Amino acid sequence: MRLDTLHTAETPEGIALSLRPAGLVARGLAYLIDFGIRLGIFMAISITVGLLGKMGAGILLISYFCLEWFYPVLFELTRAAATPGKRVMGLRVVMDSGLPVTPAASLTRNLLRAADFVPAFYGAGIVSMLWRRDSKRLGDLAAGTLVVFSDQVSLHGEVPVAEPQAPARALSAREQAAVVSWAGRARRLTPERLDELARLAEPVLGPGVHGASASQRLLGVAQWVLGRRGGAR
Amino acid sequence: MQVDGLAIVLRPRPMAEAADLGATLVRRHARSVWGTYLPVHAVVVALALCTVEIAGWLPGLVIFWLKPWLDRSLLFVLSRAVFGEGTRWRDLWARRRQVWGGQWLRTLLWRRFSPWRSFTQAIDQLEGQRGSARRKRRAQLLHGRRGAAGCMQLVFAHVEMALYLCVMSLLVWFAPEGDAREVMNWLLASEGTVESLLVATAYALVVGLLEPFYVAAGFAMYLNRRVELEAWDIEQEFRHGFR
Repeated sequence: MRLDTLHTAETPEGIALSLRPAGLVARGLAYLIDFGIRLGIFMAISITVGLLGKMGAGILLISYFCLEWFYPVLFELTRAAATPGKRVMGLRVVMDSGLPVTPAASLTRNLLRAADFVPAFYGAGIVSMLWRRDSKRLGDLAAGTLVVFSDQVSLHGEVPVAEPQAPARALSAREQAAVVSWAGRARRLTPERLDELARLAEPVLGPGVHGASASQRLLGVAQWVLGRRGGAR
Repeated sequence: MQVDGLAIVLRPRPMAEAADLGATLVRRHARSVWGTYLPVHAVVVALALCTVEIAGWLPGLVIFWLKPWLDRSLLFVLSRAVFGEGTRWRDLWARRRQVWGGQWLRTLLWRRFSPWRSFTQAIDQLEGQRGSARRKRRAQLLHGRRGAAGCMQLVFAHVEMALYLCVMSLLVWFAPEGDAREVMNWLLASEGTVESLLVATAYALVVGLLEPFYVAAGFAMYLNRRVELEAWDIEQEFRHGFR
């Protein structure tokens, strides 16, 4: 069994969803960004209400309270389900079943930041995130939520044109996917590396045109897998 | 490296997600990691604590300064763990020259100040290039990824500080009722030997807990970079499928 970071959630229909939980680094950076934004807002408010004397101080305290407790809740209930910092890092908050986060869960996970803060500076939260496979902090545990990566990384480019060519044997779905993603990287890799990889797939390459390189022939197979068929053959 | 022997799933990941793969690796091989790392760490910490005779702030600085050297044992364990291999103390001892010796200047001077130390560590320790080849290799790996690698280090630096303050505040929490302020002053303001030792030990504890995760995060990001540059994920799939 090879190690992976995925968290599997099952839908009521019995479909397994693979969620990609976000851990300490992504969430730490998101927190730092959000902290900066909150600090900025707080400074702006304190400059404007500073003119109002004692009432200003009252407003300042209320705004501090709101920023501390409701800033994340507000953003997590929007469509993006993420605070600006999380959005920069490509994260979103979901229920651990993969469903969108509910208002009650969002409120719970954010109010329980107090529990994660124990004994100082989010110590409990950090340890919990490092120790758990799904990187939940205590608030996430209580609310049943999960912070996941929403953006996919794609190294995939255009598949280069080649004469479609049938593989020597039927390919499993996984092998087909591998061949297509190999072809999609043709522009990122050096020709030597591309050919080196193609030679690994030698057993499934058809006879091909005489003298064609392994990568030429595998590109043909990739075109075949993508459903293109040559006119003559 | 034998890509088909890797016991981790490679696929293109965001750099931060790769760092999480490192944490998974540490958790899975916790016994190997801490079993071999803690003895080394304990010796270094013991020696560092001795320097309290010279100055109160010195033990913490010595531990901080020797971290790149401590990381070398960790990367050795982790580079075996990615192939699913456990590491015992005697495996580390058998390779002690290679792991602990060599590259002293690099480890203790340049690498100490590198803002992406653990990301580039595998180049220095595992790839075995020298001179301009190594410089080129590092530039290639870092190209466009300096931000991600630096941010990872930034997060771990903050986390280390936060956990350190946690340990200190736990001491204050357990102070007798009403004496919390005095305990805090005693710990932070006074210059006695016992307080300096306590402060340094707290720091050593945090380093002992966190350093494996930091090194693993950098190493996993390095592997992710090789997925980007050399399509290791595809090589893994091809070698599994088309044997």
